[in-house]
Amino acid sequence: MTRGNGWVGTILRVNLTDGTIKKEPLNMKDANDFVGARGLGTKYYCNEVDPKVDPLSPENKMIFMTGPLTGTAACSAGRYEVVSKAPLTGIIGAANSGGHFGPELKYAGYDGIIFEGKADHPVYLHIDDELVELLDATDLWGQGVHPVTEAMEERHGKVRVATIGTPGERGVLFAAIMNDKNRAAGRGGMGAVMGSKNLKAVVVRGTGGVKVANPEGFMNEITRARTMLREHPVTGAGLGALGTEVLVNMINEVGGLPLHNARDGAFWDKADDTSGERLAQTYLVKNQGCFGCTIACGRVTKIEGRGNLDGFGEGPEYEAGWSYGAACGVNDLGAIVKANFICNEQGMDPITLGSTVACAMELFEMGAIPESDIGFPLRFGDAEAMVKITQMCADGEGFGNVIGLGSYRLAEKYGHPELSMSTKKQEMPAYDGRAIQGIGLEYATSNRGGCHVRGYMISPEVMGIPVKMDPLTTEGKGAMLKTFQDLTALCDSTGICLFTTFGIGLPEIAGQYREAVGSTETDEEILLKGERIWNLEKRFNLEAGVEKDTLPPRLLREALPSGPAKGKVNELQTMLADYYEARNWTADGIPTQEKLDELSITY
Amino acid sequence: MLVKFFATYRQIAGCKSCDVPAPGNVLALMEALSKRWPEFRNLILNEDGTDKGDDVIIMVNGRHIDHLDGVATKLTEDDYVAVTPLVAGG
Amino acid sequence: MAKQLVVDPKKCVSCRTCELVCSFKHNEEFNPRLSNVSVFHYEEAAITVPIMCMQCDEAACAAICPTGALKRNADGVVTHDANKCIVCKMCVSACPLGNVSYSVAKKKIFKCDLCDGETWCAVHCPTGAISVVDPDEVPDKKKLAADKMKAAVEEVCA
Repeated sequence: MTRGNGWVGTILRVNLTDGTIKKEPLNMKDANDFVGARGLGTKYYCNEVDPKVDPLSPENKMIFMTGPLTGTAACSAGRYEVVSKAPLTGIIGAANSGGHFGPELKYAGYDGIIFEGKADHPVYLHIDDELVELLDATDLWGQGVHPVTEAMEERHGKVRVATIGTPGERGVLFAAIMNDKNRAAGRGGMGAVMGSKNLKAVVVRGTGGVKVANPEGFMNEITRARTMLREHPVTGAGLGALGTEVLVNMINEVGGLPLHNARDGAFWDKADDTSGERLAQTYLVKNQGCFGCTIACGRVTKIEGRGNLDGFGEGPEYEAGWSYGAACGVNDLGAIVKANFICNEQGMDPITLGSTVACAMELFEMGAIPESDIGFPLRFGDAEAMVKITQMCADGEGFGNVIGLGSYRLAEKYGHPELSMSTKKQEMPAYDGRAIQGIGLEYATSNRGGCHVRGYMISPEVMGIPVKMDPLTTEGKGAMLKTFQDLTALCDSTGICLFTTFGIGLPEIAGQYREAVGSTETDEEILLKGERIWNLEKRFNLEAGVEKDTLPPRLLREALPSGPAKGKVNELQTMLADYYEARNWTADGIPTQEKLDELSITY
Repeated sequence: MLVKFFATYRQIAGCKSCDVPAPGNVLALMEALSKRWPEFRNLILNEDGTDKGDDVIIMVNGRHIDHLDGVATKLTEDDYVAVTPLVAGG
Repeated sequence: MAKQLVVDPKKCVSCRTCELVCSFKHNEEFNPRLSNVSVFHYEEAAITVPIMCMQCDEAACAAICPTGALKRNADGVVTHDANKCIVCKMCVSACPLGNVSYSVAKKKIFKCDLCDGETWCAVHCPTGAISVVDPDEVPDKKKLAADKMKAAVEEVCA
């Protein structure tokens, strides 16, 4: 039998302005240098788009890219990445999603899709193996994610659908692209980019397959990785049983759960009401896995008997549970689940949305936002107001449109940009950088703004994976973060899920990659690709005009009032210096020519 | 002294938290918990009575014992302890 | 005597690993549409059911095969011999469970052969939703019901 290399070899180029569709051979040199998905998508993007481009203009492009492991039986290998300049931040936006859409794209024969231009009316891309066509989406425009997905399944049979809801159509700056109904390429506003192109959905059916270079070696590697995941307490038991929300109590215990827009510290006596343990006793129907996943952290949830909160869907994950929970001071788990349903049904990032609501609550309580602007009081702890404002944002109604700008623009509009808990205009997730120092450094240096999945320092600082680091100290954090960022860039780019890295490490990721693509590179050489990806992203951001690496003043100046980290602020400057040194960047955080040469980056 | 249980350990303890008299140190507490809930023994202690290490997280006043004195960390009635299997999320 | 695959939908998390490894075992490519196992997900019920050949004792596929391509082997597995097969597809129609398939792309018939005893779907299933047992050891549902009854009686008496 003929052998493969993890790729199916073709990129689709879809020009929405003139309606042309071209099939191009995959650029194998770039694929080797930048791995796939996040890395390769970014490389294609940097090759083709002016970094100064307006993200919502026809001149911008949007790239869907899979990895060489996507669609194989490698552990949790159902991921694809959407790459474009993010409208929320104005820097590189790469949003990763699971489910079953990415593999289906490969089975149809395409490693990725490059969208260019803008259609003059709403369209969707329909792919059925070799058949690729742009079809009219006028009847779908104005509809939510679930009805569109169902309509496409009815019209085209057994297809996988990635679509936007109405917030994406309206340009809400944190609109997500949703696939398989409840899986999100969530952050940075990729849904707004898609909407700006009048592209409502991508609908795929594929009957082909994916081949690897060394079938026997590949089976050995994936069996080893899958066994490790099954036997690890986190990936083999904890995440499946209790989901990511299980973290609530643990992070609260270390005093790192930001409360009330981080205004009132990071320890909450009501945290347990919003925990994964509580979710399992209340709204959880069962757990569910994405494509090829041994972990199955997904929550299928249902609310019954709570009137207008009733619903059925998935989630929440830990981050959404926090943004609607502790950040807004809401301990009604039903309201949190409901707000998350609204985000899924209309395609919005719940981290940014919940944080923006929390920011608005603080501004309202201090009198900076008049009640007449909102139409009702918006106080911390008001579950009903929280769900209502979320629905208004989804529907583009009244003050919901201001929420749709994200917390930075909202806080700036009302004269207090310092109260946006964001870095580079993207909201920080559910860990306080004062109680957990390294995660603060991660927020400050992340290439896509406030984000936890670019170098998850919670792993060493709270869970002790792979080594135990004290969350309150700064030593070694810079170097550890650099390694985590590079490894994460590699992991994302192969097409496997980042959550696998709780149970497996570089040897297993590199091992699966090698056997799939037919490489003889060492683990270190493969990890270097992750560093190359990180530096390319940084170079793009510098050209795009990125803000300097910092944190909101609250984390740098307002000491935590209580909890185990009482009295702490984030000691960013110390860690930044170590971090830039570990990266071999200048003291101002600029990649040196020496480093770029070492990584063969010419951008 | 307050002892909190997280994740699957709650099912074993049958409660979110309990009050126990403060033993001398963390290892003694683990012995006490294993005595009261025999199911804990294999989970938080090795056969020879040493601690399991990485698969169990024990926090005293919100600090991982690894950053204190490990299982030798002393306990008083005013301390509070959290015991959880290794969990993660994100 | 042949081993038997047993499916427990309650344990299935819908990941489709079985589809992947099955297609890889038989075709050296990851392609769910060439898999002898198919996973069906019922969204509203939140239930997923993997379906595959159960190696019927009265195998309609073998009975209807005009060339003897489908035959029961010494292990009790109904196997398919591509060399004898004329791809008439009668077996596809005959199987009452839809577990014999025809690939348009490959122009061939395919069905479960229990991987010559290796049963990759069961071996790689992360949750134990697919397992392989001796027919004699298939969990006796009567016994399970009796176990429940015993537990209930114990509780009432205690």
